[in-house]
Amino acid sequence: MAEATPVVEMRNIRKSFGAVQALCGVDLVLHHNEVLGLVGDNAAGKSTLVKVLSGALIPDGGEVFIEGKKVHISSPWGARSMGIEMVYQDLALAGNLDVAANVFMGREAVSTRLGPISIMDKHHMEQETQRLIDRLKIDISSVRLRVERLSGGQRQSVAIARATAFNSKVTIMDEPTAALSVAAIDKVLNLVRELKAQGCSIIIISHRLEDIYKVSDRMMVLRHGRKVLDCPVIGSLDEFRERLVAYIIGARNDFAEKGAN
Amino acid sequence: MQARRAEMSFMKNAKELFLQNAREFGMYIALVVIMTTLTIMTKGIFFSPRNITNLLNQTGYIVVLAVGMTLVIIIRHIDLSVGYLSGFLGAVAAIAMTRWHVPVYLTIPLVLGFGILAGLVSGFLVAQMRIPAFVATLAGWLGYRGALQYATMAKGTIIIPNAAFNAICNDFIPDIPDIGILPGLHKLTLILGVLAIILFIISAIRDRRKMMRANKFRALSMNFFIIKLVFVSALIGVITLLFAKYQGFSWTAVVLLIVILLYNFIMSQTVLGRHIYAVGGNPEAAELSGISVKKITYVVFCSMGMLAALSGIMFASRLRSATTTAGQLFELDAIAAAFVGGVSMSGGIGKVTGSFIGAIIMMSLTSGMNLMGIDISKQYIVRATVLAAAVMFDVAIRRREK
Repeated sequence: MAEATPVVEMRNIRKSFGAVQALCGVDLVLHHNEVLGLVGDNAAGKSTLVKVLSGALIPDGGEVFIEGKKVHISSPWGARSMGIEMVYQDLALAGNLDVAANVFMGREAVSTRLGPISIMDKHHMEQETQRLIDRLKIDISSVRLRVERLSGGQRQSVAIARATAFNSKVTIMDEPTAALSVAAIDKVLNLVRELKAQGCSIIIISHRLEDIYKVSDRMMVLRHGRKVLDCPVIGSLDEFRERLVAYIIGARNDFAEKGAN
Repeated sequence: MQARRAEMSFMKNAKELFLQNAREFGMYIALVVIMTTLTIMTKGIFFSPRNITNLLNQTGYIVVLAVGMTLVIIIRHIDLSVGYLSGFLGAVAAIAMTRWHVPVYLTIPLVLGFGILAGLVSGFLVAQMRIPAFVATLAGWLGYRGALQYATMAKGTIIIPNAAFNAICNDFIPDIPDIGILPGLHKLTLILGVLAIILFIISAIRDRRKMMRANKFRALSMNFFIIKLVFVSALIGVITLLFAKYQGFSWTAVVLLIVILLYNFIMSQTVLGRHIYAVGGNPEAAELSGISVKKITYVVFCSMGMLAALSGIMFASRLRSATTTAGQLFELDAIAAAFVGGVSMSGGIGKVTGSFIGAIIMMSLTSGMNLMGIDISKQYIVRATVLAAAVMFDVAIRRREK
């Protein structure tokens, strides 16, 4: 395969919090239509890395390229306007609003503008939301259901659908399967596959190696703020798990040297 | 299979519709029950044209505050300062007209502007300095109380001689000249009432058609729709007739209509309203979605300040003067009206129209019990019970929903 321009490239990202160095020069590459699994122990730097990409944190050093162009991401809103969408672990949804209102939150469709007052085009938003959940095969009976009345899996699906609704280039999912039932996890993983089938590029963080194995094309292991492994997802689940755990806990640490040679 | 799924989905939606509206139905039923009971117990005096007109004129300045308070509580704050702010700004209006000789058509926008300014101060303390709204507006409560006493210190009561100003909460809209038909009725009021019913029916049918196109399961409950049409039309009809039998619509009714329609429109149809609900539902989510929580907080407190000014104007107009105790405890009446009207302390839930009904329920109790000669001490206890019952009903419904 010819080396196409990656959709995201992060080079030598460094970030410290006081004396703690959370990221010591991490590189990340995400290709078009690829699902990248990001794993590591607690405090390995996974969340810090994606927060840099999603604009929630400003790195101390390093460069970020989106489709080959160098960018400066200074806020979540800025990241969003560059097509980087984040699905937050704690589900950034408003329970008192319905599904359509949540999908369009902060980006409401407007039919008429009267000075500072903009009248919403509710009909359009509901139709688009219906189309979105049909396309992604999400099981929700009405877009007018209030989100607080949905199950955990349905909420996660709404959050993911929302992130992909506005032609995003990259969707970052931080622990999308945490705190879900087994059936709900399957639904969310199916949704990730569906998104990949429709051409999305996804970074997925998870503690559940099984989930990463099921949906990712490639995975990256972080340990103490350094990348210790970056390889395609191949082989059986057991082999995969064994190998990964060795890198996560630091039993093996030969990747960086290999890369250097 | 397909048919069964459709049927199940319909059942689910019907249940959903009922649950979502149970609170509203309950409130209207409570209003009707309370009004009927009071009418029977006062042998019809409660529901007389004169009493209902007075009731609305007395509730006006509380309703206006309750509308603003609804928005404040929706975004999870509270504003305790609005009672004395209302009293103080009423005094400012009186002073502007009597001492500074500002004409009435300038006094009103001037005072409304002061109200917005006061809202800006509360907004600054809450949004910028991150002082809890309870504390920030408690400071306002003290401050405006002092300001009111200072403003009325010289004479105690400032008499407002301006007839146009005093008309706002005491007078009625003019009638068309008598042409011999329908003697004893206010004809312009009747015409406006009939127009309102026609407009309501047309817009309800248009909304329903739109809904049908979007999701046919959703709109299927024809019975519900007809009940709603008949109920609201009858309500408008009865109210119109009552007013027409007395002296027609009061200017207070006109002001309330404008405020409620405007705020209801903003909250249900505009991006601003949606953002206010989003901030109330989940401020972090709203912020991450690019909604500025700070800006929304400012806007809501400024709107509250402006409505407090309007309330102050209405109260001063009603008394034809500004007094040292104007606005005392208005804030708590407004908060109670909002809670009786279904606004939730946990944020994100509540409607402007609900708070209006809440205010009417509370004022009906006062008015009815006054007519019955019930002692004020017992009145407070009855109103306490109604407030507690309304909130318990609310909590029970919300628990069942989840």
